[in-house]
Amino acid sequence: MTGIDHRLALERLLASDHAAPNPIDDVEALLKAHHPDYREGSLVSLAVGANRGSECPTALAARLQSNARIEDADLAGAPVVDTEVLIIGGGGAGCAAALTAAEAGGRVILATKLRIGDSNTVMAEGGIQAAVGEDDSIQRHFEDTLRAGHGCADRRLVACLASSAPDSIRWLIDRGMRFDLAEGGAIGGKLLRKKPGGATRARILSFKDYTGLEMMRVLREAVELDERIRLWNRCPLVELLSDEAGHCVGAVLYDLALHSFVLVRASRVILATGGVGRLHLNDFPTSNHYGATADGLVLAYRIGAALRELDSFQYHPTGVAWPSFRLGGLISEAARSAGAHLLNGLGERFVDELAARDVVSAAILRECAEGRGIEREGMVGVFLDIPELERRQPGTLAQRLVSLGHLARQCGIDPSREPMMVRPTLHYQNGGVVIDENGTTSVPGLYCTGELSGGIHGRNRMMGNALQEIITFGRRAGLHAARSASRHPAPKVGLFHLHGWRRQLVAAGMPLDRFGPDLFPSYANFDFGHELALRGGKRTMYAPRARGVE
Amino acid sequence: MQTSQVRITVNGCVIDTEPTRSILEAMIDAGETLIDGVGCMGQGVCGSCRVLVRRQGESEVLSALACETRACEGLQVAFLDHLPMHRHHVYAMDDWNGDSWRILERINATFPEAQHCRHCGGCDSACPKHLEVHKGVMLAAAGDLSAADCFDECIMCDLCTIACPELISPNHLGLYVRRLSTAIGFRPADLVLRLHQIERGEMVIDQDVASTQP
Repeated sequence: MTGIDHRLALERLLASDHAAPNPIDDVEALLKAHHPDYREGSLVSLAVGANRGSECPTALAARLQSNARIEDADLAGAPVVDTEVLIIGGGGAGCAAALTAAEAGGRVILATKLRIGDSNTVMAEGGIQAAVGEDDSIQRHFEDTLRAGHGCADRRLVACLASSAPDSIRWLIDRGMRFDLAEGGAIGGKLLRKKPGGATRARILSFKDYTGLEMMRVLREAVELDERIRLWNRCPLVELLSDEAGHCVGAVLYDLALHSFVLVRASRVILATGGVGRLHLNDFPTSNHYGATADGLVLAYRIGAALRELDSFQYHPTGVAWPSFRLGGLISEAARSAGAHLLNGLGERFVDELAARDVVSAAILRECAEGRGIEREGMVGVFLDIPELERRQPGTLAQRLVSLGHLARQCGIDPSREPMMVRPTLHYQNGGVVIDENGTTSVPGLYCTGELSGGIHGRNRMMGNALQEIITFGRRAGLHAARSASRHPAPKVGLFHLHGWRRQLVAAGMPLDRFGPDLFPSYANFDFGHELALRGGKRTMYAPRARGVE
Repeated sequence: MQTSQVRITVNGCVIDTEPTRSILEAMIDAGETLIDGVGCMGQGVCGSCRVLVRRQGESEVLSALACETRACEGLQVAFLDHLPMHRHHVYAMDDWNGDSWRILERINATFPEAQHCRHCGGCDSACPKHLEVHKGVMLAAAGDLSAADCFDECIMCDLCTIACPELISPNHLGLYVRRLSTAIGFRPADLVLRLHQIERGEMVIDQDVASTQP
């Protein structure tokens, strides 16, 4: 993709009259031509599994219909560890589940692929929804969330989210998380509330504009100091374990530090592995964490769990388009709602900046595809004109766009003088594994919570409901799992579900040499086959830690 | 646009890259396996990619985050491992309950090393976010709970903990003060009222309303 040279575009921007954009005649045609969810050939029909016949993005379908990385023989000699509750994922949902399960008296292992806290939770800026305002109610939270999700969310789950939200905030405060106040002091004050797009009341609670960081450092510390929770860092999930009835009875982890498999026999398994951004669906950059490779989604599907709204993803219009090291990073909607314009390389506005997110995203992609984007160091995007906004409304940057200022400085830009370059970024998986109010799935023994699960956001997620979801449903899954867990491991534990799965793949003509889950993004240069060949050999070439340091 | 090549050294390996690339990107481009010491990839909030860097012609070694640091000619980089750190400051959330007039005693008992601060400034220079870590330690050691504010933007990268010769664990001390002061002393009135309403059954959800239909 090429565009108009950055310097030339800057000159045109200065000369621009910022005239209102032409209205879009045919929104449907625009979406169809340029939005990734609608693009010709971007979806395929699943041929195997519980959702056979459902549409799903091509790149994700390849993973969902992949073959297991391991055979029975790989597990011979692997150590076996027993626990009541096994939680996979070290983000907010996994930590909330672990803490709650431990408090309920369960024996808990929390395993995570990278380190505890490495997750999308820590990157969340905006805040967390809870209806605490005098003018607000849990009914409004319920209705706003359903409406924003285009009416197709699971009402029971949304009601659970809205009614549990205030108690989730109390739970967080009890563990030491702070929130900003609008008035008064720590005792008797009132919480600062912001209004999310699509809401009828201000309902977002926050801590500055790094709410997720404040949440994650509190939860991480709580888990690390809880002696009842065994924490295994750098132990990605490779496969789930099943019994002859197809129930989930544990998991196979791979310990990256010891280069060995570990079998965990667990009465209850809670997946909290997050989203899919790092699969870069439709070749999009992403605002997601490095670990977001859909591992849990792939394995839940393989063992038989049903999925929903799997063709619905959020492409946020304003991801960073330059410089490359921040590519896909998120610029909050706050900039546009404050009045910032989007302009192409000709110095023209091309879309109503406050139109629906999918329309704005499609319009930006159209400008880039048709050569009116701006090119800088090989990256293409459009301008988000903060300097003009600052001239029009002096002080906006300092008062309303603090994190944008920080991001701009990271990019080496003075945001009051130079426009940001933006293009859409893959942000969130709206759907996921079908769950009930306790996070249980259609597979006995298996729970899902967090972005991996579906049904809460329908086809569109409101700002602030993701952080609320991970706490509310993380806690509920942890509690239910701990209370219902058996102290004794299943008598027969194995890879029973793989026999049927492989038969299905063969019958559907799917390749058997496409393996999943990915575990790491393609550019991590991680070869699991090579890794397995190294097993038992001397520790070597393990970047970045071992190289040249010894 | 063609950019000139620069040569950097990461963990002893020479990598040729471009000055537009971050250290993490340079490693990826060079085909290095990157499955550890990586997280938010540029936002600078996860604290995973901790490195020591030395720029060409300079003698000082600085700590930094690899995702936020761009390559430049002659840059030397060494990743810092996340060793399973021995946590000698263990506490429960009820550490201050019972007698909150004795908070200073509890701080000293839980983080005794804070009294031994040498004022070397190692924590301040180690912090990639340029927080006033030493000031926070001083305040906490004197029982001043405003110490918590010094750690508002702390990403818990543990670089100050590594740097401290007295094993104070400044970031964990800061978080301890933050967490406990919040847990015992943060009671917003609107939240208190709403919880009360929900618990008494005065606020419930009617799931069958029509207005949510698309």
